[in-house]
Amino acid sequence: MDIGQPKRIIEIMPTAIPVPGELEPDLAPARTPEREPEREPQPAGPESADRRSR
Amino acid sequence: MSRTSTASPAGGLELTTGAEPIQAWRAWALTGTRDGDDLMLRPVARRSRPWKPRQPTEAACTLARFHRAPHPGCTCGLHGTHAVEILRKTKCPAVLGRVALWGTVIEHEYGYRARFAYPQRTRLICQFCFWMAGPYAAAPEHVGWFPKDDLMPICDEHLETASRYGLAPRHVLAAEAVDQRLRETYAVDALAV
Repeated sequence: MDIGQPKRIIEIMPTAIPVPGELEPDLAPARTPEREPEREPQPAGPESADRRSR
Repeated sequence: MSRTSTASPAGGLELTTGAEPIQAWRAWALTGTRDGDDLMLRPVARRSRPWKPRQPTEAACTLARFHRAPHPGCTCGLHGTHAVEILRKTKCPAVLGRVALWGTVIEHEYGYRARFAYPQRTRLICQFCFWMAGPYAAAPEHVGWFPKDDLMPICDEHLETASRYGLAPRHVLAAEAVDQRLRETYAVDALAV
């Protein structure tokens, strides 16, 4: 089947893969992993010692 | 589809990006058991690599193994066409449908070559009616089973002609049941032409 001369290249990263069911992870669209918010360090003290004992 | 365009070093072709799969026309061969189980869509040209149900099909180049399909300088990739009429030239098609294409897609004058694809809508066709009348031909009534599990949808008239010339299938199934089972297997909708 002759589909003629190439015209352009399209890179398609779909937000939803058009396949029913589960997907292999490497076939899913690439996403930037979300970073967990950094937590303030808890000061050591009677309150935190009390929390650990619970 | 929203696309952005950039200058491209890829063989001088324009490079664009998109977020929605491209919909195109495609024809497949069909295999299955004598009872119509294990239905599998296959490429018409090289039937060895099936399109597995509920999994994206990924292109692989059998001509040169050192590039990723589709390559601008090759003919590799999963093919789809802009117009359905061009598929009338396909050799022995059994299923006509719409296919979603994504990943790297090379657009040609009359169709596409893609890295990933999955059928969206399917319909059995009698290859002789399709060749003569195009996609508007009536749906086939039968599906013939041949050795090597080849399934050939065929209408009343052409089944009779095939039988007259000693080319009758070994076993005949009801096309409506096979058509429905194929759609359930791939979880796709019926193609209305």
